[in-house]
Amino acid sequence: MQRLTRRKFLYCSAGLLPVACPAQAFWPFGDKESHASGPADIRGQVFKNDAPETLWKWSREGFRYKKIKDGKVVCGICPNRCILAPGDRSVCRSRVNMNGKLYSLAYGNPCSANTDPIEKKPLYHFKPTSKAFSVATTGCNFRCLNCQNWEISQVKPHEIRHIDLFPKEAVQAAQDAGAVSIAYTYSEPTTFFEYMLDTARLAREKGLANLWISNGYINKKPLVELCKVLDGANVNLKSFSDAIYRKLNGGRLEPVLNTFKTLHELKIHFEMTNLVVPGYVDDPEMVKAMCRWILDNLGPDHPLHFLRFFPRYKLDRLPPTPVSTLVRFREIAMAEGIHYVYLGNVPNHKGNHTYCHQCGKLLIERQGYYIPTYNLTGNRCRFCNTIIPGVWPAKGDSVSKLFQNPI
Amino acid sequence: MKKKNERAIIRVVIATGISSVVTQLVTIREFLAQFDGNEFVIALIFFCWLILGGLGTLLASLGNQVTDQRSTGRFQNKIWFRNKIQRATIDRLAWLSLLLAAFSTVQILAIREFRDIFFIPGSSVGFYPTLAYTFFTIAPYTLLVGFVLPYSLFVLRNDTPAYPGARIYITDNLGDTAGGALFSFVLVYLVTPFWAIFLANLPLIFVTCLLFSRRSLVVFLGAGIAFSILLSGVFLERATLKPAVGKLVYCSESRYGRVAVHQDAEQYTLLSDGIPLFSNQNVNMAEEAIHYPLSQINRVQHILLISAEGGMMAEIEKYKPETVDYVELDPEVSEVLFNFGLIKKISGLNVIHRDGRAFLADSDKIYDAIIINLPEPTTFQINRFFTDRFFKLAKNHLAPNGVLSFSIQGFDNYLAEPQRQKLSSLYNTVADYFEHILLLPGLKIFFICRSLPIEPDIPTRLAQKKISTRYVHAFFYGNLTKERIKYLNEAVDPATPKNSDGSPRLIRLMFSQWFAKFATSPVGFFGVLSILCLIYFIFITKEEFVLFSTGAMVMGSEIIIIFVFEIFFGYIYFQIGLIVTVFLAGLMPGAFLGNRLSGHGIRLIGITDGLLIILMGILIPAIWLGGDRLPVTVYLGFGFVISLLCGFQFPVALALRGGGNSAVARTFSADLIGAAVGILFTSVVLIPYFGIIWAVAGLIALKSISLMVVSTQYPRISLCKD
Repeated sequence: MQRLTRRKFLYCSAGLLPVACPAQAFWPFGDKESHASGPADIRGQVFKNDAPETLWKWSREGFRYKKIKDGKVVCGICPNRCILAPGDRSVCRSRVNMNGKLYSLAYGNPCSANTDPIEKKPLYHFKPTSKAFSVATTGCNFRCLNCQNWEISQVKPHEIRHIDLFPKEAVQAAQDAGAVSIAYTYSEPTTFFEYMLDTARLAREKGLANLWISNGYINKKPLVELCKVLDGANVNLKSFSDAIYRKLNGGRLEPVLNTFKTLHELKIHFEMTNLVVPGYVDDPEMVKAMCRWILDNLGPDHPLHFLRFFPRYKLDRLPPTPVSTLVRFREIAMAEGIHYVYLGNVPNHKGNHTYCHQCGKLLIERQGYYIPTYNLTGNRCRFCNTIIPGVWPAKGDSVSKLFQNPI
Repeated sequence: MKKKNERAIIRVVIATGISSVVTQLVTIREFLAQFDGNEFVIALIFFCWLILGGLGTLLASLGNQVTDQRSTGRFQNKIWFRNKIQRATIDRLAWLSLLLAAFSTVQILAIREFRDIFFIPGSSVGFYPTLAYTFFTIAPYTLLVGFVLPYSLFVLRNDTPAYPGARIYITDNLGDTAGGALFSFVLVYLVTPFWAIFLANLPLIFVTCLLFSRRSLVVFLGAGIAFSILLSGVFLERATLKPAVGKLVYCSESRYGRVAVHQDAEQYTLLSDGIPLFSNQNVNMAEEAIHYPLSQINRVQHILLISAEGGMMAEIEKYKPETVDYVELDPEVSEVLFNFGLIKKISGLNVIHRDGRAFLADSDKIYDAIIINLPEPTTFQINRFFTDRFFKLAKNHLAPNGVLSFSIQGFDNYLAEPQRQKLSSLYNTVADYFEHILLLPGLKIFFICRSLPIEPDIPTRLAQKKISTRYVHAFFYGNLTKERIKYLNEAVDPATPKNSDGSPRLIRLMFSQWFAKFATSPVGFFGVLSILCLIYFIFITKEEFVLFSTGAMVMGSEIIIIFVFEIFFGYIYFQIGLIVTVFLAGLMPGAFLGNRLSGHGIRLIGITDGLLIILMGILIPAIWLGGDRLPVTVYLGFGFVISLLCGFQFPVALALRGGGNSAVARTFSADLIGAAVGILFTSVVLIPYFGIIWAVAGLIALKSISLMVVSTQYPRISLCKD
């Protein structure tokens, strides 16, 4: 082979330089689509042979399950429909098959019990500034990467500290705290269905309202049963894409939409929350499609909250949602025809206030949990007498301006 | 011809050393920007790098056996045949070196781009996926770099069969030291990662071109392709940093890591090593961090702020203080905060670019409030702001009615056990210096510490001071109910041990929390590692064990010295860079001396083992008694002597081992594998779980075993064969 001179080498190198320069133009990873990469499905799995050896004080036989062959059972509470062989534990970690029977291990053992402002749920159209006694046990049927309660939602009942609060005591504790409602919240209350239902029945007898704060991943039959004692709900519509549900939340979209339809059919007051995760749930076209579905199936009166995302749990390398994105989504939703659209996690924004959908006047001004302005009379607008959807204090009842819980 | 070849190969070895150390440092920084930057992950990256390097050298040993078999035959004594073989092996080394240069850029590209293919964009990654990703993305480069070093020796020995293995070790150390110094003191200040890789690999390409036995078109084409790949990296720098959300409006590689600003609509977010720290729209964090402590004081005159976030200065301004000393370690961070309007310049503001603890130790100023606004103590460096000594230091700089405030990660509705222990450890630590401590829950748990009583009703205090807020005023009552405050304050376990400099308990609790978050445990990893180590020990010779312990001693003592230095002097980039450099530099003269005196054999190994044990033994009393009174040169000198002794042992052990090709590869790998195990165990097991004294004791114990092996098994050593 012919030997090269230095001059030829320089020419050769110079000739190769242009290969490097346009590399950027041909770089295949230039435009990153968040939802297009990484694992497509993070749904949970049944925990094989993970049940405790014996039941404990806080166990109850499941309300809805089917026995199938070989001692196996199928849980009927949520769309995961876990098939559990003896000794197996459900996806939500709270239900086990013990000798051919399904048991809940989360009954009367909440790991968290607090008195919260109702606005924190968030429920803006349900007895403003009232106290909601909030309880949660462990467990969740989802695997949300941004779960803010992962310390209780992604653990087993035996793994954490809990308090002894069976339904009767829970109702008593709510009354002692001066709460007007009990909220089943924080983790996923569907996973402690038996505890929730028994407590809700007792609470209703005592005149307390029941609030279900949920991801909406529940089967129709248990939901209908729950609705008999339910007064309000906030259900999270995490996105309007099944792919994103599977990728970020470990769930499916369709069952959640069915839950909304059932709640609407049974005339339960409910509000919807949509956490706007940047790069995943911040597509205006998706928001439009979501709003159209809401209008077609649920009507314009159910309040919709767009929540600002903050980096949490495993999804901690994304920036927060820009406020302008939420504002734009609110405008889109209202332009589509939804009457009450709010911004969440954005302090002191007009998107926190309630305006009459008829006359447009300010009905409720919210500064966090402080309500300086309240212009409803009963359930009607003080200015134009339009009925405002929600559960409001009766006409003549006073509304406290502030959540009453002095330090 | 022989000399010419030797010089060319030596130049390649030095250039490879420069290239590999720069690539290693850039790779580590890249991983820290892509994954969690806790002490575990840092150790894991070093571990993978060193283990794979060690495996690479072992592969060279196998490769050499194959080559030996091929080169033995009926022509083995013919000069033309030997020349042909020599040319072929030199060319092979040259091609491998070119490949190595190209791989360095490919490796960084792979780390950046494959992350979002294998993991969900925006999500953090747990222990085992991080381990697997690290291992596989760096494997091609590190195996090759491990392979090339002993292979260079084999090539040299084709010409000069008696070529000493120690000389290649010394040469490699020379390149490593030069590479370390080049990156730490020059490149990190001046250029981006791909530029650093490009500049550090240019010499390698150049000297490799000179190595080829014939400079043909194919050679220049190969060199040109390697050059183009390196250069492509420079052009791809910005494209590969493009965020999944919004756009990258600023990116800079500071001495301490990657500082970036992402813009999404009107929101600017500052990210440090990939973690979003502050955005210009987060009022609640700034309000909580400032008003919780400052509302307690009647008249706020002097404030010390250790690190800041968006909106803080605007909140501080409401108190009209005379001076605000804002200490930020990384000048890039404060510059970005100001430039992008994340914090504002207020009257009396004094920006100080120093380690906060070192600043406080040197200052005699008394403050009304000291506000620590640092991230979680996931590293030894951050942990120093949450220890007994630091709290004492802070107390000494506070006015009698002053307040100290700091925070850790909060919780929404349930205080998980690792977090409770963390909280308790901190509470018990700070309680020694402050009579009143109030914990306030929220997204962050705030510790408000004073010698005077603390008023928990913050909105009322603010109303009295006529200070208006957006978040605290509207959300405090409701988010911070009396039940929640009581729950938090009652959760403190008085029996939880305190966090100290010497025994950083918080680090181990951070590990627990990290593993809990990903529902995993490192037990399996350490179990497998221990079994592999045992198997390895069965198959290695005594000399290899000596070098294994030496490798562990170098890396372990380096970690300990840096750790201790930071405790007393703070995180001073330049001086820590010097410590790292002297640890590299000491190996070289040590190896040189060892090579000269290697004839004295086992006795010298025993003496140096003994000296290492004595040196480590006097380290702790010297440091605790001398502490910050010791000049920095003592730390540098100590590091130099330790590494000198370790470097000394290599050629001596090698000489005992026989010095054959296979022996060289195996001793190189023993050194690297020992270093891998040393850094991992010292960083994530010994220091966090047993404290600094036991970490030193652990290294002493390891070297004592080495000494015992040397002194009791000597007769068997002489029987060892390659």
